[in-house]
Amino acid sequence: MALSVLRRITSLRPSGKFARSLFVAKNKDLDLPAFGKTLEEQLKEKQVQDPAIYYQVDIGLPRESFSKRRDNTSDRVAHVKKLKSDVNLEKLSRHGKLEIPMDEVRQDWLKEKGTQHVKEIAEHYGVFQHLFGDAYFFPRVPLDVAYDQGDDVFAPVCFGNQLKPKEVLKQPVIQFKSDPDTFWTLVLTNPDGHLTKENSEYVHWMIGNIPGSDVSKGDVIFDYLQPFPLKGVGYQRMVFVLYKQEKKLEFSQLKKSQPSLADRTFSTYEFYRDRQDVMTPAGLAFFQTDWDRSVTDFFHSTLGQEEPIYEYDFPEPFYERQTYFPKLEPFNIYLDKYRDPKDINRDYLVQRLAKENPFAKPKPKLRFPNAEPLPRDMPTWLQDKIKRDRLGWGRINEVEEYEGPPTDSLHANRGLM
Amino acid sequence: MSILNIRQVCPLARIGLQRIATVDFSTTSAPVPKEKVEISQVVHNRNPRNLERLRIAWKPQGYHLEAPGRSYWHKLVLTSSSRFISAKVVHFTGKVVVEASTNEWCIKKHLYNTKDVSAYQNLAKVIARRCLEFGLIEMESDFKDVDPETKVGKFAKIIEEEGITLSEPKRYLPAYPFHQTRPEKPWAVTED
Repeated sequence: MALSVLRRITSLRPSGKFARSLFVAKNKDLDLPAFGKTLEEQLKEKQVQDPAIYYQVDIGLPRESFSKRRDNTSDRVAHVKKLKSDVNLEKLSRHGKLEIPMDEVRQDWLKEKGTQHVKEIAEHYGVFQHLFGDAYFFPRVPLDVAYDQGDDVFAPVCFGNQLKPKEVLKQPVIQFKSDPDTFWTLVLTNPDGHLTKENSEYVHWMIGNIPGSDVSKGDVIFDYLQPFPLKGVGYQRMVFVLYKQEKKLEFSQLKKSQPSLADRTFSTYEFYRDRQDVMTPAGLAFFQTDWDRSVTDFFHSTLGQEEPIYEYDFPEPFYERQTYFPKLEPFNIYLDKYRDPKDINRDYLVQRLAKENPFAKPKPKLRFPNAEPLPRDMPTWLQDKIKRDRLGWGRINEVEEYEGPPTDSLHANRGLM
Repeated sequence: MSILNIRQVCPLARIGLQRIATVDFSTTSAPVPKEKVEISQVVHNRNPRNLERLRIAWKPQGYHLEAPGRSYWHKLVLTSSSRFISAKVVHFTGKVVVEASTNEWCIKKHLYNTKDVSAYQNLAKVIARRCLEFGLIEMESDFKDVDPETKVGKFAKIIEEEGITLSEPKRYLPAYPFHQTRPEKPWAVTED
């Protein structure tokens, strides 16, 4: 009986979406894959999270009440009918000369789908994750932040655009719509690149109890501090969060006279957790900065110390465990793998400094450096090493400031995927 | 992608570099007192888009036999429905990062036709501006060899004019000591 069933199934040769169901029905208790799961299916299974444990909480202002959102479908239909009857519009559109007003489109977008889009891009940048943990909010109040560049030119802060530190040295102009009898708090925080503490932020600007939308009349808790993205660290986020207060609040415990950089260590999570009953996040704007000479000046003039330079910590190259008798390995290359790189570099540096004369003109680089012959009795491994060094290949490049012979197109683009 | 460790490089690495110009960046007040600040050897930058901007982030690999490929960080995808067109920027994880469509009322209310050449041109401007606002300047696309006289060609032209680069740079792989040459480091600041 079982054999005949098996033969029937194999002879049918199922394919497509029904195939898997047939096999699963037979092998359900064995939990075998039918035709093998795709990478996407396997990844999806691994990434499944229990919704009882992994969930996010909306801590923002509620959506506009339904009664306020009028049903304007009929208006829209009438508007579209009007457009379709416009002959001039049709002509412009057909010739590809119709240009829609971008500013109006942006304003309307922010009122409707823009809130959702901004929330999604903030998630993509990890803003909610690093500031609020498992909470998020929809920025219901549009926050306009712009840095004055002089000559009536303003650099706006949108949702992740890049600004250089020298453009954001002075505090920006803040604009947002609000009722005059409401109170607001504005916080500018940098969640990246804290100099000492892990997973911590620096507060660059904090103003509390802003009446209406007049930022100049609020309590300044922390004065505006320019961003200082460290050299080599890359792009850091600077996040403006606007909170709506239920009533006037007391921020005296946060205020410090002449706060040092360490005093500016901040945690939005703790700040909001302690005030969650009287405050709601309502507005959001953020930008990205990376290093600039003004950061060097900040360290030298404002802090009075040397500027730190960082470099990305790439993983070390993998070498197999060293053996006493490696088979068919060139001894010099093999041993160089396990030698301390500092020793190798020191040898090259010493070699170079022995030839260098700071008072003499630098010798012109030879176009064919290996045209100069090497002694015949020199061992071949040493000849190869000298040839490679002359061409500027390999380990000689580890020594700082070494400029090898001019690179030609044959050796260009190596090391890039 | 895990958090990166950034190691403090010895200040002697700056031998040979010169200050080309000195500019006064002082502000009116000193918001931080002039005192020595402790600095750690390792600093974490938690910005998830930082590695992509520095070209160090991992790109999906191994799909070189497929066309179009999957080796990108962000990609601009243009789709056309029977009634409207939509452009979106997609991350390789599948997440839709930026989107714009002529079906949105804010755009539709100005257009005569949601699918003709004007629609493509205006959609290009809208998506380009949204990308610039969101800080996405470079992304892959399938518009490289498109005839500029077609609707998609005009779309791609306007995207480029607005300042978006429709191709991503190659991933930077670090040079190990035994490598022949050293590629230029993308984070080495060349502009002032």
